[in-house]
Amino acid sequence: MKLPRIVRGRPSKSLLRVSVILTLLGLVLMAWSILAPTPMPVMLAMTVGQGFGTLAFGLFVFVVLRDLRQSGAAERVAREADAAEQAEPEAAEDGA
Amino acid sequence: MATWISSNPFGAGALASAAIAAILGVWYLVRKPESTRTTKIALLFGIGVLPLATAATGNVSGYEAMKSRNFCGSCHVMTPYSDDSSNPESKSLASRHARNEMFGHDNCYACHADYGMFGTIVTKLGGLRHVYEYTFNYRNMSLEEARKSIHIRKPFQNATCMHCHSTELPLWRAVPEHASLTSEIASGRVSCASAGCHGPSHPFSKDPVVPVVDPGGTAPTDPSGKVAP
Repeated sequence: MKLPRIVRGRPSKSLLRVSVILTLLGLVLMAWSILAPTPMPVMLAMTVGQGFGTLAFGLFVFVVLRDLRQSGAAERVAREADAAEQAEPEAAEDGA
Repeated sequence: MATWISSNPFGAGALASAAIAAILGVWYLVRKPESTRTTKIALLFGIGVLPLATAATGNVSGYEAMKSRNFCGSCHVMTPYSDDSSNPESKSLASRHARNEMFGHDNCYACHADYGMFGTIVTKLGGLRHVYEYTFNYRNMSLEEARKSIHIRKPFQNATCMHCHSTELPLWRAVPEHASLTSEIASGRVSCASAGCHGPSHPFSKDPVVPVVDPGGTAPTDPSGKVAP
C-alpha cells in the first residue's frame, strides 16, 4: 500500500507537528463532549475527534517506523564502508 | 467540583489524561525539540497512550451521559417530555418513574431502551436515527407541530416494564385487572402503558380523545394512526 506523496516526502519534524496539532484538535473535541454532554459535542467527539486522534497516531507510528528504517539503513551503509576500509589495506598488503 | 468528579469519574479521568497529553503536545510545538528517542517516547504518551485513554474513558462517560434525561431533553422537541418528567407535581407515568431514586435521572433510557442481548447496540443505533430525524426533519419545527408529529416507532413492549415489574408477586396478581388480563399482558396484546391501564406515559402528547384498550386488537392505536406508548 502506497502512502500519499505529501506524507512520504515530508521531514519527520513537520509530520510530527501535524500529528500533534491533530491530536490537540481531537482532544479539544473529546474534552468538549465531556464538559457539555449534548448530542452534537458527543457525536463530534466520537466521530471527528477520534478520527483526528487515529490519524495523528497513524502519522506518529509512520514517522517512527520510517526513522527506524532510515537509521537501520544508515548503520548498514556505515558498517559496509568500515568493512571496505578495512579490506583495502589488507588487499594492499597482499599485493606487496 | 468534587461532586462532579465523584459522580463522573470516567469524565474526570478523561479530562486529566487529555490535559497531560495537551501539555506534552504544546511543549512539542513551542520548544521544537530534536527528534531524539526521548522526544519520541514523550510523544508516544502525548499522541498515543494518553489520547487513547481519553478516548476510552471519554466514550464510557459519553455513553453514560447519553442515558440521562438532560441529554434526551437537549433537543428542543423533547423538552416537553423532559420537563414533564422533571415536574414533581406531574402525575404522568413518565414523571412517576422519574421520581425513582434508582434510575430517575435516566428515566427516558430506562423505559425506551431495548433490554435484549444486543439491546444497548440496538438502542444506540435507534439514537442515531433520532439524530438523523432531528437534524433533517425536526430541527426547525415548532413544539406544537412536533407534538402532533412525533410518535413512538414501535409499540411499547410490556417486556420493558416487566424488566423491573416481574408480574410474579402476589400483590401484582391480586389486582383484578392484572389477574384477568395476565395472558394478554404477557403476549403484548394489552399494553401496560395504554390508556385505561397505566398510561399514556406522556398524556400531554396525546390528542384529546385517547382510545381505551382494544381487547381484540394488537397494539392500541389512536385515530391519527399513532401507536400508543
